[in-house]
Amino acid sequence: MKLLIMCEGPNEKEIINILLQNNCLKFTEDDLLGLTPYHARQIHSSAQVRTELNLYPGEVKIYRIGDKQSDKLKIPAEYKSKIISVEKYCTKPELEMLFIIAEQLTGAYEKVKSGMKPKDFAKANIKLGKKKYDNSTAFYTEYFGNNPALLVRCINDYKKYNGSHGKDEHYLAELLK
Amino acid sequence: MKLLHVKAKHFKNCSENFEIDFVAKSKKTAEDKEYELQKITEGLYTYNTVAFVGKNASGKTTAVELLDACFSILEDFRLESKSYSFDGVELLMDFYYDEYIYRYETILKNADSIGSKAIFTNQKIRRKKYFKSKVKEIYADNSFEDVEIAGELPEDTSKIFFILKKKATRAIYFDSFGKGIDTYRLLFASLKDFHISTDILSNVINIFDENISDLQKLDDHNYRILFCSQEKVVSDKELLYLLSSGTTKGMLLYILVVASLQNGFDLIVDEIENHFHKTLVENMISLYKDKSVNRHQATLIFTTHYCELLDLFNRQDNIFIAKSNEKVYLTNMYRGYAVRPELLKSRQFYNNVFQTAVNYEELMALKKELKK
Repeated sequence: MKLLIMCEGPNEKEIINILLQNNCLKFTEDDLLGLTPYHARQIHSSAQVRTELNLYPGEVKIYRIGDKQSDKLKIPAEYKSKIISVEKYCTKPELEMLFIIAEQLTGAYEKVKSGMKPKDFAKANIKLGKKKYDNSTAFYTEYFGNNPALLVRCINDYKKYNGSHGKDEHYLAELLK
Repeated sequence: MKLLHVKAKHFKNCSENFEIDFVAKSKKTAEDKEYELQKITEGLYTYNTVAFVGKNASGKTTAVELLDACFSILEDFRLESKSYSFDGVELLMDFYYDEYIYRYETILKNADSIGSKAIFTNQKIRRKKYFKSKVKEIYADNSFEDVEIAGELPEDTSKIFFILKKKATRAIYFDSFGKGIDTYRLLFASLKDFHISTDILSNVINIFDENISDLQKLDDHNYRILFCSQEKVVSDKELLYLLSSGTTKGMLLYILVVASLQNGFDLIVDEIENHFHKTLVENMISLYKDKSVNRHQATLIFTTHYCELLDLFNRQDNIFIAKSNEKVYLTNMYRGYAVRPELLKSRQFYNNVFQTAVNYEELMALKKELKK
């Protein structure tokens, strides 16, 4: 059995990669389909995910990583017998909550959250040195890449901060060692 | 250096203005940027994989031979020992190098009556600074400026030498003929030239034949092999009989894949499916699309009859359809056809959307003869 990690965007993929490289997750690269997480929203639209599913003859469990993941994952008929489960791991409302937690700005964000998305709040308030948050993957790499312990702490704190996930919405913290 | 665009006249039996463009033109999604495309510089993307498809004798091999010729000029600044005549070939190449787009034009001539090498005439090198804002006009001819070149070269050496200066492997061409007993010599030469470890060779061998646990070169024609736990010393001819043709060809091709990925040069493969299980071809394509493996912008360029492979492509602009009437010509799937992206490309081939189907009437004519 292999895990297929499908990340909604490149930034989620980078977060998973940082956790993987620093051995912070319950699974290792060897447990992953194709030895890597993928940036893919749907199977039918990702040639790379389809290729990897074609290559591996065994069963596959899917972990979807993203913020809300309101779109349902459609499993193409040819993979229905191979894919044994799909689980959602969410960072609602947006992944930028991790920066807000890291900078201990949850109090400030609470005051404006009705009119401001975490992404916009992060763009206005999060900096690394002189560089402002710009929604780029490079910013995630620079911010958390050398400090995986901070990332782990933020993921754990996110669970405490946002206790309102739905029944089928898991926390990233559940994937941590 | 990255080759972006090639245009040729009078190359083999190509149509006038036979053209291959490697710069991504259609919409680039975030997922495409991750798996399908490589960023050369800001706003300039080329492909991780490029396919040439078409029926037999449609010109697929001609297209990759043209690319092989271009890469020979870019890496050795020479063109020699090819199976075709160079006489009268008009060549135009656009490549990106050091923040500039270079345009190189020449007319080739055979250096001698047997055409063993080319001489470069009417050479012209121009360039323009690359700007992201002008990416849509990178080939616009009027914005190139002449490059001043001071110096003389032998006529069989291209003036691209003055730009790139150093010889370097830019691409390797793997034809469909097979190299016979030379395969093993080439295999070990590749391991040495590209500093590939014997561990990787073991991994590659195991993919193709689990009975072989070790292969070592003793001298130019003799090898030591551990086959079904038995050590044998065999000549290259004996080895060719001992191993399947798929194993022999596959070992060399996969080692070249490794060399290409580790060094960032392109790999051109004619008839990629030849001798291989589909899974092994899918795996090769997957390796070039995975940036954790393809870290140096290598491109896999291949021809195939196997249209199912194209279902592994998320884009259409990296697929060229070859056809021939009196001359051979290429059509880009994105620019030449209005195919809905969500439809399976293989299904479109079977539905003859690209007019590439094998002639049914001819097949039945043969069957009719056989029934007599």
